[in-house]
Amino acid sequence: MDRFKAVFFEEATTLINELERVSLLLHNNPSDSSITEQIFRIMHTLKGNSTMFGFYRIGDFTHHFETLYDYIREGKMSVTDNVLNITFASVDHLRVLLTDVELENSVHKINHENLIRGLIEVLNGTSGEESIKNNSSDHKIENKVSDSPTYWVKFVPEKGLVRKGTNVLFLLDDLSQLGATYTVSNTERLPDFKKLDPAEIYLSWEIYVSGSVTENSILDVFMFVEEDCELEIRKISETNLLDQDGFSTIARDVSLSIDDKILKFGGLVKKSSSKSRIEEVRNKMEKANERSIITSKDNSISSIRVASEKLDELMSLVSELVTTQARLNLVSEQIASSELISISENIEKITRQLRDNTFSICLIPIENLLVRFQRLVRDLSTQLNKDVVFVSEGADTELDKNIIENLADPLMHIFRNSLDHGIESGEERVKKGKPAQGKILLKAFYSGNSVIIQIRDDGKGIDPEMIRQKAISKGLITADQNLDRRQIFDLIFLPGFSTAEKVTEVSGRGVGMDVVKRQITEIRGEVEVESVLNEGTTINIKLPLTLSIIDGLLVKINATHFVIPLGNVDKCFEANHEEFVDKINDLIILDGEQVPFIYLRDEFDIKENCPQLHQVVVVKQDDRRVALSVDTIIGEYQAVLKPLGRLYKSVDVISGATILGNGEVALVVDPNRIIKEYIFNQIHNEVLQ
Amino acid sequence: MSIENLNVSNSYLSFKLENETFAVTVERVHEILEIPTVTKVPKSPDFMTGVINLRGNVLPVIDTRIKFGLAKTDFTIDSCIIVLSIMMENEQITIGALVDSVQEVLELSSEKILPSPALGSKYKAEFIQGMIKNDEDFIMVLNIDEVFSINELHQMKENTSETII
Repeated sequence: MDRFKAVFFEEATTLINELERVSLLLHNNPSDSSITEQIFRIMHTLKGNSTMFGFYRIGDFTHHFETLYDYIREGKMSVTDNVLNITFASVDHLRVLLTDVELENSVHKINHENLIRGLIEVLNGTSGEESIKNNSSDHKIENKVSDSPTYWVKFVPEKGLVRKGTNVLFLLDDLSQLGATYTVSNTERLPDFKKLDPAEIYLSWEIYVSGSVTENSILDVFMFVEEDCELEIRKISETNLLDQDGFSTIARDVSLSIDDKILKFGGLVKKSSSKSRIEEVRNKMEKANERSIITSKDNSISSIRVASEKLDELMSLVSELVTTQARLNLVSEQIASSELISISENIEKITRQLRDNTFSICLIPIENLLVRFQRLVRDLSTQLNKDVVFVSEGADTELDKNIIENLADPLMHIFRNSLDHGIESGEERVKKGKPAQGKILLKAFYSGNSVIIQIRDDGKGIDPEMIRQKAISKGLITADQNLDRRQIFDLIFLPGFSTAEKVTEVSGRGVGMDVVKRQITEIRGEVEVESVLNEGTTINIKLPLTLSIIDGLLVKINATHFVIPLGNVDKCFEANHEEFVDKINDLIILDGEQVPFIYLRDEFDIKENCPQLHQVVVVKQDDRRVALSVDTIIGEYQAVLKPLGRLYKSVDVISGATILGNGEVALVVDPNRIIKEYIFNQIHNEVLQ
Repeated sequence: MSIENLNVSNSYLSFKLENETFAVTVERVHEILEIPTVTKVPKSPDFMTGVINLRGNVLPVIDTRIKFGLAKTDFTIDSCIIVLSIMMENEQITIGALVDSVQEVLELSSEKILPSPALGSKYKAEFIQGMIKNDEDFIMVLNIDEVFSINELHQMKENTSETII
């Protein structure tokens, strides 16, 4: 059973996410009936699933929700802000319900009750049944519901019906699903209490149904009990009688026969019917149903759901295959048998295809992230009382799922910043001659081997001079330091720098842009800010396509192999050993330029077998260039990244390991770290001197 | 799965460091390897010999001798790596422990394991789970979670840096 529940939770989560996505669409196009139809269907599925698995609270909750959208899709209600708010609150609450099924947390429980009350209140404004009880004559409602015919149903069940396993009340419930109902029970058959057999039914009912119903749809309800009851159905009016004044008095009078009642009802009718509209609604519904069947068929064929651990496992197996393949190549070359070489080449081809395929499986479109940002923008802009629209471009750009997962937090933070500090209030914007509505654009696109994500707002921008002053006041830079524009904007990412003048609930949560930078660096990404005062701020994030494979330069120092990521490699040179020793300023002249160098043999504490001639790899990070000395450069190498594990957490200049064709382990160098460490040491040394 | 299981299980793998014999519960032993090419990771403490390729995964190798205050292991024909899983900060990780030689697998009922002497041991009490009397020798059963835990590794690191200064 637990396994089934797990499936339910997974499906429910997908449904809720889908619901959120669709609700956001509705927010933008409140009048699009296909969207309300979709929401109704999602709720319907969720209700069915949850009741089936015994999550009655979810079932109950979704039932109310479903009714709401049922009214909307039938045109009995329109999508108001109130409806939208309650929809989003419900989405959040459904997520809560999944984690706290029994509502053990009292806050959740109160929330649950409030939401249901809210839903019922919204519904009460429209339900035909309710409006009769309250005898309300709300003009709007009358108009909307009056297009439906009224049927009279007399249902006299056989006394023994319950023994056959039928719950008669369910039938009445089902009937009320068809439209507004008014039910009159007839107690004539009730015997004396002493003679009453609790297993028999003595009651019978007269039910008035109004809505988009037909005789057939009513007959359908009683399909399974037809043989065991007395059933009479008559159309008594083309219009909705239920919301006419005086209807209930006539309906309740059991002494009158139905024919007499019809006569009396006739006096109540004020409006003529318009049958065509009912047909129209019904056709639309049928079409929508057809459509849903087709789409669900498509889905079942074109995609399957796979646990992400399985994907990770597949990925690591493929990586292993790539490694083994490299080894096979090596061996087959050594043996030099043409037959073996041809087999090995074939396997190499297949391996490559398999690898590319597997990687593409693990890529997911960035769209998966966007829903929550849309939501964030909607919620925050309401909270901040700003009118902001969120636009995205290139939502189909694909990234490794691990990157996407780790991208949510930093992006969230950037969005909060933009909304809170970037975009001005409506009046301020108008004063500046900008449109009152602010705009945040998220643009994703491929650029070579990376993906660029830009978040651009049209807010007030950042004043570089202000950043400078702030950095000076915080002691991050000295007043006489000369920084170019880029360097000034980079200051934002330093720990201890926060441009927020005041701490607000929205963005002042104690995390600054330094955390954003760190989180992005962790997924091997880069981030930078560009801003024009009063025009807006753009944040550029550059990310690798995948985390598990990098193109690198394979080098060797003594017996140890190292891989330097190719993205950081600028140029390669040769240099004599003497050029590296006994230098005071640690500078080497390459191509007529002075470049600071790091003698890796000293840095990594490797002393054995020092060669006379060194190879030099110049790595660059942003605008900084540093030369790294190695013994030999072997060549380009596609490295499958393996973590070094927790024991080596403290060694940050090595970001991982990879396994070479001959089975040895090569270490992957993180040039950014080395450069950073170098600069740190320089400053340290200067201070000491 | 730590201490309770240790008491129930009654198979121990014994190994030698210099002249002393130690033992670990076989439940935690994955396999015993001959020594392949070890890649030393720069800027890591002395007792971390390096990393090896264990069928496509990177396995950190710890020189048990240095952990126990002995001189660095010189590889001999008997030297080998015991692949162990240990619990570190509530997470199971796999490490390789470099030892001079493996001895045998002992089948023992749990009452044969004596409590370790509180005094007079040259090893920290929390490292030793208990003692086994085997003929005239004593075998020390190691609490591998403690011996190879990261806290202990860090502590060792601090100690070494102090001695340098």
